[in-house]
Amino acid sequence: MLPLSSEPPIAMLSKVLKRRGATLALNGLDLAIQPGQCVALLGPNGAGKSTSVALLTGRLRPEAGEAFLFGGDPRALAGRGRMGVMLQTAGLPNTLSVREQIDLFRGYYRKPRSLDEVVRLAGLEGLEKRRCGALSGGQQRRVQFALAIAGRPDFLVLDEPTTGMDIDARRALWSAVRSEIARGCAVLLTTHHLDEAEALADRIVVIDHGQVIADGTPEAIKARVSGVAIRCRTCLSDAELASLARVTGVSRDGGKVTLLTTSAPATLRELLARDETVDDLIVSGASLEDAVTRLVQAGQAAALQRQTEAA
Amino acid sequence: MHTLAVYFREARAQVLATWRTPQFMIPSVILPLLFYGVMGLGLSKGREPVAHMMLANYVIFAAIAPAMFGFGAAVAAEREAKLVELKQIAPLPAGGYLAGRLAAALALVAVAIGLLGGLAYFGGVKMDAWRWAATLGLGLGSAVPFALIGLNLGLRMGSQGATALTNLLFLCFSLFGGLWIPLQAMPAWFGKVAQFTPSYHFGQLSQMLSGMQPVTDVERHVSILVAMSLAALIGAWAAWRRQAA
Repeated sequence: MLPLSSEPPIAMLSKVLKRRGATLALNGLDLAIQPGQCVALLGPNGAGKSTSVALLTGRLRPEAGEAFLFGGDPRALAGRGRMGVMLQTAGLPNTLSVREQIDLFRGYYRKPRSLDEVVRLAGLEGLEKRRCGALSGGQQRRVQFALAIAGRPDFLVLDEPTTGMDIDARRALWSAVRSEIARGCAVLLTTHHLDEAEALADRIVVIDHGQVIADGTPEAIKARVSGVAIRCRTCLSDAELASLARVTGVSRDGGKVTLLTTSAPATLRELLARDETVDDLIVSGASLEDAVTRLVQAGQAAALQRQTEAA
Repeated sequence: MHTLAVYFREARAQVLATWRTPQFMIPSVILPLLFYGVMGLGLSKGREPVAHMMLANYVIFAAIAPAMFGFGAAVAAEREAKLVELKQIAPLPAGGYLAGRLAAALALVAVAIGLLGGLAYFGGVKMDAWRWAATLGLGLGSAVPFALIGLNLGLRMGSQGATALTNLLFLCFSLFGGLWIPLQAMPAWFGKVAQFTPSYHFGQLSQMLSGMQPVTDVERHVSILVAMSLAALIGAWAAWRRQAA
């Protein structure tokens, strides 16, 4: 856990309960974002990331608990005027030009950035006169980022900001986000790319089943899972892999398996003895992705166990 | 000052976006002109009162399509494209988006009615200046309730459903309101259905203002229209709140 700051949080969810249809999307979630912090909200699909974002941006209201933005109601105009938001899927008007759309959003804020500055920060030079409908997917994401930073916000919400972007565009966006953080802007980032979280965030919050299951710096999160990851191709099943000596986690990505272990030599000896076909073997320190996968798996196993005990 | 400027910019952007959508612009503006040119002026050649009476009906007809489609189908499409969501989050004052849309719809209606008036004037329809102003003004004003009715559909339905139902209502309003063919020429039950359409009451008022009908029953027509507008306003407000929640 991070030390508590004396400053009031920029945005806060307090014991929030929210149902989406029949499922409990948020189950007593607590989250506070301090000024200047870049928080990455991670978790599997359906963990409650989008619902959290929707509550903090005032699109949804909690059924129980409270949501605050700059100490007030997230729907209040004053709070919204200090926030910039890039939604996962937000349309742009096909018939307006990039410049017209940015100008429109600049106009919503009391002290907006200049048009030139917004265009430069979002990397849209040369596209100002293009109609939004004529842009590529990645370019449209950049326009959405431009709209989010047009008002020089104190709080930037980025919901899966780099989906549909190529590598260069992603890196350009990251450096733009970093300079927002550098001038003191707090950021809430949701992403499926762990490298993105690692590149930008100084705090990682992992949620699953609508609850926070881990919260700390990227280093602290990584340290929570025992040290080493073994990646390889193998014909052993997940159950067989999990039974190998010292293995604490198993995950698959395509044909490759990642084993988390507290002792690489012990696990490797058994692995190689059990499966002669092991190939593409790499041993490395556990990455943030490994750590998050492990935390989510552990959380789910614990939940399952609670269910069985209850039954 | 800031708030006013926001409303103004939002309206300007909406007008611009509408103007640049010819597939929406052209039918909305051209259809009433074409109908009036053929049926109002062409077929009534030399019978000024017929052209005059039809103008009174057509100013209302010209308001229905841009108001209902601009506010029904267009809002539904922008909701589906998640355009509205971002505007609800952005520090745009409450109703700024809707006010902008209304301004765009009214601008389009104004163009349609202005052209219609011009066509009628050069086609030989003669009225006092105040009657011209009152008739065309009523047409413009009638766009507001039609827009609110369209908004109810746009906020409650998907864009395809909204387009289909708006089309149906548009045809019903025009036909049962007696805007295309005078109700006297239709079976009696048309007149009964007409009472439930805002277009009928607007048509009657328009006939009175343009001097083609004696001024009677104004209170009844106006109070029915006010009631319909209020119901549409409340319905739209509820739908907007619900989708914001």
